[in-house]
Amino acid sequence: MKCEEVRPLLPEMADVWLRSAGPAEEHLAGCAMCSAELGRYRALIHELSALRDSVDEPPEGFLARLLAQLPEPERPGLLRRVGADERLQYAALSLGGVVVGAAAIGLLWWRSARKTLDQPPATRAAI
Amino acid sequence: MITAELLAACRRGDPGAFEEVVRTTYRHVYTQAYRLVGDRQEAEDVAQDAYLRVFRGLSGFRGEARFETWLYRIVANAAMSHLRRRRRFGEVLTLNEDEPFDVPAPLRLDEEAVDRDELRRGLEGLPVSLRSALVLKDVYGLSCQEIGDELGISEGAVKVRLHRARRRLAASLFGREDAGEV
Repeated sequence: MKCEEVRPLLPEMADVWLRSAGPAEEHLAGCAMCSAELGRYRALIHELSALRDSVDEPPEGFLARLLAQLPEPERPGLLRRVGADERLQYAALSLGGVVVGAAAIGLLWWRSARKTLDQPPATRAAI
Repeated sequence: MITAELLAACRRGDPGAFEEVVRTTYRHVYTQAYRLVGDRQEAEDVAQDAYLRVFRGLSGFRGEARFETWLYRIVANAAMSHLRRRRRFGEVLTLNEDEPFDVPAPLRLDEEAVDRDELRRGLEGLPVSLRSALVLKDVYGLSCQEIGDELGISEGAVKVRLHRARRRLAASLFGREDAGEV
């Protein structure tokens, strides 16, 4: 390939570090000018990625204006709170178990008491 | 750094938790917004809109991606909505993605390493259609697919814009003859 064919490919090649050798790479290996230009593009992309960690100082009062316009946080309903909190889920399951257990015991006791009341008085006295 | 505990506190509606998120991130959010819209007042509006979107969307954020990546996308989305509203995206609609590339003149190789201030000025000088693709890909690391989703264009169109933006920025920084070419 010629320089004129390789140069349009360089902006895209600049952020691909591992690629199989092809005609463009063969040209780059023997052409100092195109190789240096590829290096420029790589330096540019490196500097651009470094911008991510640098910040522009916002105008004065920006944070205060931002906070003043935020909506008030809403306390989610009980069900959503339980769904979002693992500890609350365990507590709800334990409480549910206690309630079901108590209901079962109550039912057994009620059935037993009712059976006793259904007996004739003489039998009840014998019991 | 936004922790999972802080996000959980936000979801529970703990007073002060969301404010803590804002205090931790507002400089980055403002900077990204400014890099995308290129105007300080508009960047404030975009940041405000982005935080409202974060506030509403937090209950659905389950941490599959990093919070910061999610935030980048929300700011990008708010910025694009803002630009569309202001009809400044007209140039994007008329940009011909199918136009063939011409052969660029070689970059001047006698320049020193990239100067940070020149880089910022170079970015500000790019048309918004090219700048948005470049900033989201090369600065914030979004994939071409993600950028396409945010800009409402195909992945291929994102690659075309990215290619042109890099060429144009390199030309403005390293003094190529065709710096005015898009």
